[in-house]
Amino acid sequence: MSEYETFMEEKNKIDSYFDKGYQVISIFENLSGTFVDFVTGEEAIEREVVQIQLLTAEARKYIATKLLFVS
Amino acid sequence: MADLQINLAGIKSPNPFWLASAPPTNSGYQVQRAFEAGWGGAVWKTLGDPIINTTARFAAASFNGKKVAGFNNIELITDRPLEVNLKEIYETKKRFPNHAIIASLMVEPKQEKWHEIVKRVEDIGVDGLELNFGCPHGMAERGMGAASGQVPELVEKQTYWVKEVAKTPVIVKLTPNITDITVTAEAAVCGGADAVSMINTINSLMGVDLDSWNTVPHVAGKGAHGGYCGPAVKPIALNMVGECARNPLIDIPISGIGGISNWKDAAEFILMGATGVQVCTAAMHHGFSIVEDMIDGLNNYLDEKGIASVMDLVGKSVPKYSNWGDLDLNYKVVARINNDVCINCNKCHISCEDTSHQCIDMLKDATGKSYLKVREEDCVGCNLCSIVCPVDGAIDMVEIKQTLPSMTWNERQSRIASFMT
Amino acid sequence: MSTITGGRISSNLVENFEEIHKGLTRSEAIEEANRCLYCYDAPCITACPTSIQIPKFIKKIATDNLKGSAKTILEANPVGASCARVCPTEELCEGACVLNHDTKPISIGHLQRYATDWAMKQKEPLFKAGDSNGKSVAIIGSGPAGLSAARELSLLGYQVTIFESAEEAGGLDRYGIVSFRLPREVVQWEVDQVEQLGVEIKTNTTVGVDISTEEIINQFERVILAVGMGQVPNLGIEGEGLKGVYDAIEFVKKTKVDAPTDELIGKKVAVIGAGNTAIDAATTAIRLGASNVKIVYRRTKNEMSAYQFEYDFAKQDGVEFRWLTAPSKIVSNEQNEVAGLECVKMTLDEPGLDGRQKPVPLENSETVLDVNVVIKAIGQSKHTKLIEAFGLNHTKGVVDVDSETFQTSQENIFACGDCIFGNGQGEAMVVSAAQQGKEVAKAIHRTFMLQSEIA
Ligand SMILES: Cc1cc2nc3c(=O)[nH]c(=O)nc-3n(C[C@H](O)[C@H](O)[C@H](O)COP(=O)(O)OP(=O)(O)OC[C@H]3O[C@@H](n4cnc5c(N)ncnc54)[C@H](O)[C@@H]3O)c2cc1C
Ligand SMILES: Cc1cc2nc3c(=O)[nH]c(=O)nc-3n(C[C@H](O)[C@H](O)[C@H](O)COP(=O)(O)O)c2cc1C
Ligand code: SF4
Ligand code: SF4
Ligand code: SF4
Repeated sequence: MSEYETFMEEKNKIDSYFDKGYQVISIFENLSGTFVDFVTGEEAIEREVVQIQLLTAEARKYIATKLLFVS
Repeated sequence: MADLQINLAGIKSPNPFWLASAPPTNSGYQVQRAFEAGWGGAVWKTLGDPIINTTARFAAASFNGKKVAGFNNIELITDRPLEVNLKEIYETKKRFPNHAIIASLMVEPKQEKWHEIVKRVEDIGVDGLELNFGCPHGMAERGMGAASGQVPELVEKQTYWVKEVAKTPVIVKLTPNITDITVTAEAAVCGGADAVSMINTINSLMGVDLDSWNTVPHVAGKGAHGGYCGPAVKPIALNMVGECARNPLIDIPISGIGGISNWKDAAEFILMGATGVQVCTAAMHHGFSIVEDMIDGLNNYLDEKGIASVMDLVGKSVPKYSNWGDLDLNYKVVARINNDVCINCNKCHISCEDTSHQCIDMLKDATGKSYLKVREEDCVGCNLCSIVCPVDGAIDMVEIKQTLPSMTWNERQSRIASFMT
Repeated sequence: MSTITGGRISSNLVENFEEIHKGLTRSEAIEEANRCLYCYDAPCITACPTSIQIPKFIKKIATDNLKGSAKTILEANPVGASCARVCPTEELCEGACVLNHDTKPISIGHLQRYATDWAMKQKEPLFKAGDSNGKSVAIIGSGPAGLSAARELSLLGYQVTIFESAEEAGGLDRYGIVSFRLPREVVQWEVDQVEQLGVEIKTNTTVGVDISTEEIINQFERVILAVGMGQVPNLGIEGEGLKGVYDAIEFVKKTKVDAPTDELIGKKVAVIGAGNTAIDAATTAIRLGASNVKIVYRRTKNEMSAYQFEYDFAKQDGVEFRWLTAPSKIVSNEQNEVAGLECVKMTLDEPGLDGRQKPVPLENSETVLDVNVVIKAIGQSKHTKLIEAFGLNHTKGVVDVDSETFQTSQENIFACGDCIFGNGQGEAMVVSAAQQGKEVAKAIHRTFMLQSEIA
């Protein structure tokens, strides 16, 4: 798969979580890339946490841009 | 006609083109010829205790058949007694009162030594002093030149000693043989320098002769490292000028030196913060008359831009020179090939395929004719293909309008910091 | 320009008269400019009759200072754009380039054209007239010699009026040199440059006819005769009045004024003579669709006055050469048209007084060339009548001048260009005409300086 397709997949994931009302609660970066934790809901008990791993540079850029300007 | 006069820390000259302290400014005969040819100023070949030179002294790098892409020397400072130089400085100044004559000085790092030479030189009448803390060979082995120029405390202290007695503006000439030139530049500021100049030559060994295994150049079969200058060092010098110009602690004028060969190079240095420029290698390669095009070209350029004085050009690009962390990560350019102009050498393809991001495809059209196409979505906009492309206009790097707003690395890091628990 | 190659003849006649060389691209120019060594005391400068500072203008191309480059050229040579195209550069600057001994000479002509082409696209004039000094000069003839003198004089502050008998200014640059080597726009631009300095050019005004020589002498403080030469003289053989016989200069002129006609298509042509004009006429005939063109010359290739590159150019165009062949009669048909050219074979005898071997006819060697067009290109006649009307001494129609000041036998009358060429002195070239124009201007200026010193 080309780098670009990987990025598009990662971007779609990010977009879809934001669209579904998820919020980022944690970001963690290491040698393997960027790990983003999304959660839904306000209350701790309802919380569902999903983690995505961003491999591409474009996606690691995109998530930060989203956080800065979109949400 | 634009006004080409400059005023560098109080030193005035009819144009920004000075000869750097080096063989072209060895004697009154030469400096007077240079002024006749149009040079605005000259930094006299460094004065100090007269030295003894070796033969041979120079070597140069040819690049693909072009002579003097880079130039290397193991020459020291002046080999003539101070009195002789001073007499010729006096005569030259008398003949050319409106041209700038700056005396370059180098003595042992001792207060009384500096006091003595400054007084004697200023007594004869010069427009300024340049302290040579840069010569990378020979003199450095004796604790002068780059040896003292690499130690910020010594730069500061010696500048201070000079300033104790100097009546004319003091320029500190910095060595590039140091990790961060702003450190020594700041030291010069702390010592009271009125201006800094950069760069002196860069440590170098020109080559090794494959038959004799001698160094190039060699002196009776032995070599020593020399100082590198000429067109090849221009990007290094330009960066050093830019780094100093954008550093708020270095708030004194800069005289730009290093690889300047024509008016365009000079204009770049001036835009990057130099108030004037100094030239050595280009004059050694072609003679003094090259200044004619430097003046004419710069003048035509200023006229075309509607700029009245060259002083208005100084530093105009400095705000554009910044830290990597302040660059917009969402700015995007991609390569686009103009197939009408392309001559199908496939150099862009192979450079991208082997050494970049594999996004230039070699295709065939319906008639079987070969053509190249960039997969723009995969192109990272590195510029490599357009750099290797031999044909003007065959590859354009085009800006892709972004839907996303600008975001720098620093902005990204501070935004995600709050999520890093 | 000397490195043009012929031989690409199109059936579209208009295309045939477009400038052959398209000019250097930017990359070609930069590459070539960077090859120049920037010699000191460069031999190319000495070899240029107008002493253009060649390394300087080339350096300025290399540094993208095209304005400076064009100024450097045009300062030294007011018709530098034409010269870039028509100078025999192998014989001049390029022939002297030091790189002849190493690799290959710099294409100085092409580079000169690159810079002047840039200048032609600018709106701002490159030169300004000097402050008026109240002195007036008349120049007769607007060829390169006249234009060059006019430009120099107006820079010095003189009020200059040019009288020109033709409809447009430019002399042989305008009407003589074929347009596929020198297009008319280039000449027009050079004329415009002179006019914008305030020089008045009175076209359609023949001195000696529309205005008398006395009037000129009375109205102006100094007069420059730059009338060039005239028509091609008669051969003095039978049949010169036939239909199908042309004067080479008129023949070429027609292609520089009107669109090409089809009257030569399929014709067989003989051009008589082997100088620059003959070559231009022959290659023009080819471009007008002639099926065969022969140059007929009574001596050999060694004696022809055309340059080697012109010869090569004609050969590439397919022109044939008949050496040691002299025309003896133009044969007629019933309609009074050319039906052939009778020639005799020649042989070269002992050298004559001029050092050239004299051609002598071989007995009973007559042959008839099968041609239906004959073009005469055996040099140009002199403006003897006008020269005498001005009361000037001359030698067989060549005005006598002081070799340094270009002063004629009349104190206030000077002469330059082709009208002082001949009898073994100089070479008829655009560039030498331009240089002489400059020198005359300087000489005239000196006469006024002397006066003011005396006064
Ligand atoms: C066909 C041809 C090809 C040539 N090719 C080349 C070439 O490739 N390279 C090169 O360097 N040279 C070439 N030459 C030579 C060059 O054209 C001449 O040497 C040059 O033009 C001479 O310049 P001039 O100003 O002296 O005369 P001209 O260019 O002849 O100009 C004289 C002007 O005076 C005008 N005049 C004459 N009598 C009067 C009068 N009584 N009143 C008013 N005006 C008058 C004429 O109409 C004409 O405009 C060529 C010549 C010819 C004929
Ligand atoms: C042969 C030679 C001798 C030099 N001598 C001196 C010197 O005596 N003092 C000095 O300050 N710089 C000296 N320099 C350095 C030049 O002044 C200048 O800083 C350097 O050459 C970079 O400029 P360039 O690229 O235009 O040559 C010398 C350079 C050369 C090539
Ligand atoms: S440049 Fe002059 S001093 Fe240097 S080696 Fe050549 S001749 Fe000798
Ligand atoms: S490098 Fe330039 S000329 Fe060569 S194939 Fe690529 S686009 Fe074409
Ligand atoms: S002789 Fe040739 S290389 Fe030297 S300056 Fe002239 S054109 Fe350039």
